[in-house]
Amino acid sequence: MSYFFNISACLFLVIMQTTVLPYLPLMDKFYDLLIPFIIYLSLSRPVRESLPFVLFLGFIMDNLSGGPFGLYLTTYFWLYVGVKGVMTFIQVGNRFFIITLIVGGGVLFENLILLGAFAILGSRQQFAGDALGIIAVQVLWAITTGSLFLLFFKNAQSRLGVGFKRVYARTKEQG
Amino acid sequence: MFSRKLVLIVGFIVLIAVNIIGLSVTSRRSTTFGIERIAISAIAPFQELVTRSLRFTRDIWRQYFYLVTVARENHVLMNQLSQAIKNKNQWHETELANTRLRDLIDFQKNISERVVAAEVIGKDPSAWFKTVIIDKGEADGLSRGLPVVISQGIVGQVIEISNHYSKVMLMVDSNSAVDSLVQRTRARGVIKGESTDQCRLEYVLRKNDVRVGDTIVSSGLDGVYPKGLRIGFVSRVIEHDADIFHEVIISPFVDFEKLEEVLVVLEVQKQDWVSRQ
Repeated sequence: MSYFFNISACLFLVIMQTTVLPYLPLMDKFYDLLIPFIIYLSLSRPVRESLPFVLFLGFIMDNLSGGPFGLYLTTYFWLYVGVKGVMTFIQVGNRFFIITLIVGGGVLFENLILLGAFAILGSRQQFAGDALGIIAVQVLWAITTGSLFLLFFKNAQSRLGVGFKRVYARTKEQG
Repeated sequence: MFSRKLVLIVGFIVLIAVNIIGLSVTSRRSTTFGIERIAISAIAPFQELVTRSLRFTRDIWRQYFYLVTVARENHVLMNQLSQAIKNKNQWHETELANTRLRDLIDFQKNISERVVAAEVIGKDPSAWFKTVIIDKGEADGLSRGLPVVISQGIVGQVIEISNHYSKVMLMVDSNSAVDSLVQRTRARGVIKGESTDQCRLEYVLRKNDVRVGDTIVSSGLDGVYPKGLRIGFVSRVIEHDADIFHEVIISPFVDFEKLEEVLVVLEVQKQDWVSRQ
């Protein structure tokens, strides 16, 4: 069931990000919606189930993006590993606050990697001002909405699991 | 003395006569005795009450049916209105698409190369790179490196290809470069993307005249873009004392945020090289 949810969520987020969001006002500089999903996978799902999805998502995004191949794979993989590591060491009561910071940090991390690649490709320094603006807007968006996405993913998956179990039980009874 | 039958007949005739006389007397009198007033006063309020009640009920009944009819009519009209709005929007979209496609067809007539029209179906997920996905691929005759244009000017170049879809690197991407000319003075330079909505014209010697407002066109020397395609106009010229080149900022003619349909120019390289040989 969780595989079904993960695949659906991946497709939905990738399509939203490449077809709908760029045309919405104020959303054209929205952060990568897959970052909350990667963080969700890292926090809530076992490695055996979530890691293949992380790599699959990186592969898909690398294919859709104009950047050098492997940028998103690298970003998602290290974000996944980093979040797992951070949550092993940090024991804090206010989890919501920490998750908000993690999503913001994740967006910042991705942007720094992409900006690094951008700089290595020989882009001009004049772009630095715009880059800072883009990063700031994305991080702010992430801080304000990131944890909501995480809650949504968690809630959706648990509801879907419960619904699926009910249907399965009913089918078994009837059978 | 008189039989009972006779008495009855006479009595009946007298009664009729009295009745006729009485009727003739009362028909000539206009005044009433007052008993009618009492009767009217006593009965009329009830009549009024009953009549009004009946009218009220009848009105409610009629209003109800009227309202039901109006509600139904309203529902039908609302549906028709929403359908009309939807149709209007659809026609407006069709009209806009028609205008854009006419532009593309007119433009297509002006260029000698074979072209394939394609629709933009997706954008780059990252804010740092400027690419789009189009709905034509290898099956439609596309290959890597082909130029993509619209009537306003150069859009970019095909960089990845699958069977039915392709990825196009826009001219404003930081990896993009187009060999170009200042149309007025024929000064050469290379347009490089900045991953913003502007480009930069590089390697234009300071001895060459470049002014704000000058149009930049493709030179055709890069072997990718056909010669003479519009690129943009000079929006700023920055002079550095210790530099042998102008620093020129270009605003592209193409609005990359509103790209919907594009033309992919096929076999431009082959045609150019053949003609040069």
